[in-house]
Amino acid sequence: MNEEKEKVGWLRSVALTMRQEVKHILRDEAVIIFFVVLAIVYPPLYSLIYNPEVVRDEAVVVVDDDRSELSRRFARDLDASPDVWVKDYVSDMDHARDMMARKQCYGIVYFPADFENTIRHGGQGHVSLYCDMGVMMRYKAMLTALTNVQMETCSRLQSEKVAGIISLDGGLVESRQVPLGNTSMGIASAVLPFILVYVLQQGMILGIAMLHAGSIGRRRRNRGIDRIDEVKATPGAMLIGKAMVHLIYYLVPAIFALHIVPLIFKFPMNGGFMQLVLLMFPFLLASSFLGQVLRIFVYNREGVFLVIAFTSLIFVFLTGISWPHYQMAPYWVAISQMIPGYWASTAYVQMQVGGATLAQVGHMYIALWMLAGIYFVLAYLVEIVVLRPRYKAMQLQSELDPEYLQRHVLYQQGDDDLLNPEWIGDEDEEE
Amino acid sequence: MLRIIVNSIIRGWKQMARRPIYICMMVIVPLVSAWFFFDLMADGVVMRTPVGIVDLDKSDLSRKLTRNLSAFPQVRIEKTYGSYQEAIDAVQSGEVYGFFFIPSDFSRNALSGGKPTLSYYINYSYFAPASMQFKGFKTLSVLANGGIVSSVLTTMGLPSEMVSATLQPVVTHVHALKNPWLSYNYYLSSSFVPCLLALIVMLITVFSIGMEWHAGTSRNWLRTADNSIVLATFTKLFPHTFIFINVGLWIQYMMYVKYGFPLNCNPWNMIAAMALLVVACQAFALFICSLVPNFRYASTICTLLGMLSFSFCGFSLPEEAMYSWVAPLGYLMPIKYYFLISIDQALNGIDLSYSRYYYVVLIGYCLLPITMLWKLRKNCIDPFYIP
Repeated sequence: MNEEKEKVGWLRSVALTMRQEVKHILRDEAVIIFFVVLAIVYPPLYSLIYNPEVVRDEAVVVVDDDRSELSRRFARDLDASPDVWVKDYVSDMDHARDMMARKQCYGIVYFPADFENTIRHGGQGHVSLYCDMGVMMRYKAMLTALTNVQMETCSRLQSEKVAGIISLDGGLVESRQVPLGNTSMGIASAVLPFILVYVLQQGMILGIAMLHAGSIGRRRRNRGIDRIDEVKATPGAMLIGKAMVHLIYYLVPAIFALHIVPLIFKFPMNGGFMQLVLLMFPFLLASSFLGQVLRIFVYNREGVFLVIAFTSLIFVFLTGISWPHYQMAPYWVAISQMIPGYWASTAYVQMQVGGATLAQVGHMYIALWMLAGIYFVLAYLVEIVVLRPRYKAMQLQSELDPEYLQRHVLYQQGDDDLLNPEWIGDEDEEE
Repeated sequence: MLRIIVNSIIRGWKQMARRPIYICMMVIVPLVSAWFFFDLMADGVVMRTPVGIVDLDKSDLSRKLTRNLSAFPQVRIEKTYGSYQEAIDAVQSGEVYGFFFIPSDFSRNALSGGKPTLSYYINYSYFAPASMQFKGFKTLSVLANGGIVSSVLTTMGLPSEMVSATLQPVVTHVHALKNPWLSYNYYLSSSFVPCLLALIVMLITVFSIGMEWHAGTSRNWLRTADNSIVLATFTKLFPHTFIFINVGLWIQYMMYVKYGFPLNCNPWNMIAAMALLVVACQAFALFICSLVPNFRYASTICTLLGMLSFSFCGFSLPEEAMYSWVAPLGYLMPIKYYFLISIDQALNGIDLSYSRYYYVVLIGYCLLPITMLWKLRKNCIDPFYIP
């Protein structure tokens, strides 16, 4: 009987916390912005930037010392390829280098004087490509075009040569590349799906930190007491209640970012919708608890921006977008595995882009649940060991000295003269 | 006068000393993050991508191909799969990043002129591993073709030097100028790390000004500087400038000296660029603060622009590939000019005169806030804060 009653009491306090948290969020315009608007504005912005996907028609100039039919044909084929655009033919390398320095082109194709002659006499002709290496994608586009034209030219010349002996049209073995998942092979479809997941995680953490900072601000003004955030719930019930609210609030942004945005921008969508929703569940939960752990570092609102911004970048890199996981030092791998976004984005990409089922990324799914558990425990410890005593201390200090918390702010601003009570009196008169 | 300046500067230093977030964000975070990037990609080039192989032929020739593939540095054969489906499953669960597929009866068909097809399946969700696989797989199939053709031609009595010329009449030489190792670290970290520093400089500047509004001390800030907004901002931001430039130089030291990034110009060119970048970013943030005298909005704008800089300044997708209305946005940010300078000077080592405009623009940024300081002053005297 007694146990039953206690259970009801626990559920009731979860419900109370939920109601409180909903009010708390609704009261706070900024938090709504970061909870919802961030998730709605950032993904389309990023998508728009990266949406061209690939480099097309990269400008190169040709220096042709051979001026033969073969070299001209080669250059024309380059121009015809989608990746490269032959912007100009110039007479010498110095001129070409100058154009490159002025950023009028990013590559130089050079044919030496004996190009055609050597080939006609049974030797190997040489073509050189000089690439500006400021941006890797330019290099890649030029390299792809050059290699393709080289192969075409080779097989054409081969079949001309051995026409009398055997039929060698294009060789004896053919090969083909099949891109999996990201069939456009573009940058947007490779990078964006990861970023979309991180926008959710960071938005969630930012929102939670802002709520907490708001609460700290109220406590500072109100002698360590925050009337809005004060719930008489056990730490566990409070954490779970808040997490439930965060989860509900984030359902729409999550569906928007992970389903609607790919739809709009035509990113690969090979994952089952319900399976993705299932994947999001432990992810959002883990993010919420992680956010609640990180409250330990939050003292004021605007400081939150500073931290969120740069951690986003580091997290995204730890996930292995640019530099793959299998080549990271073990300590970086270990750190990345503590981030909910790592598992969620990897699983999301495997599913949404690669077409895997939830079962195939089962170990990541389990890892997310484990993280949710770990961060719940940590958040619980933070709540009872750090935060609640911190509020208590604020209240005690204010009882001893009602002005203490406000004075502390002035102290931090370096306004020692304002700390002088006489001066404060002056200020009051002025107003 | 001197007393006023000294008092203002002391006040600025006190603020930094009394809030741990300043030292943390100004010194520890940039340096640790820089080290993070440099260390993460210290290998420079992505190698040994885990791949699979499906060999349905099981002939001497196909086994030879497998052996050849395992000798390539770009890939590492993680596992041999019995069927296409097994291999696809392995890609989907993330076990391998792609696989090479040798069809059944491959060698018989090849030698009888049946033109069999070697296929390679690559997961393009991961860019760098995908291009490494492409390189390895493509080379392997070209070699396979060459091997078979040359053995056919040799048996037909063609001299061997003619065989190679027949196989590959055109040879290409690709010169990746100044970064022949194709190091990802040199390329990516040299733009991302300064961009991160630029972001932090802007945020800290907004933060330190915004806190005056937030704590209600903006009037006292002005009063300490004898009601001169120029003096007030200068004395407040100068200690930051000093620290940030030192941090920036330390980052450059790590890059160019410790990690051996290409530095093909006079080091002073890059030192000047870093100093200008720091001041330009401070000025940019100060300008935003004057224009939008609201702590929350100013920091939102700076965060948004600073985060998007990584994308729209064209570090990865080059500007000429972007939509024509996105590319110019990059030129709004000081970091874009630093980036262009670092390519011209540190990487390519071309004459300083090619980069002169970038330096001029950076100097221009430093003067930008002068136009709006009157507004900042007004807002410091009569601040409003929306919590």
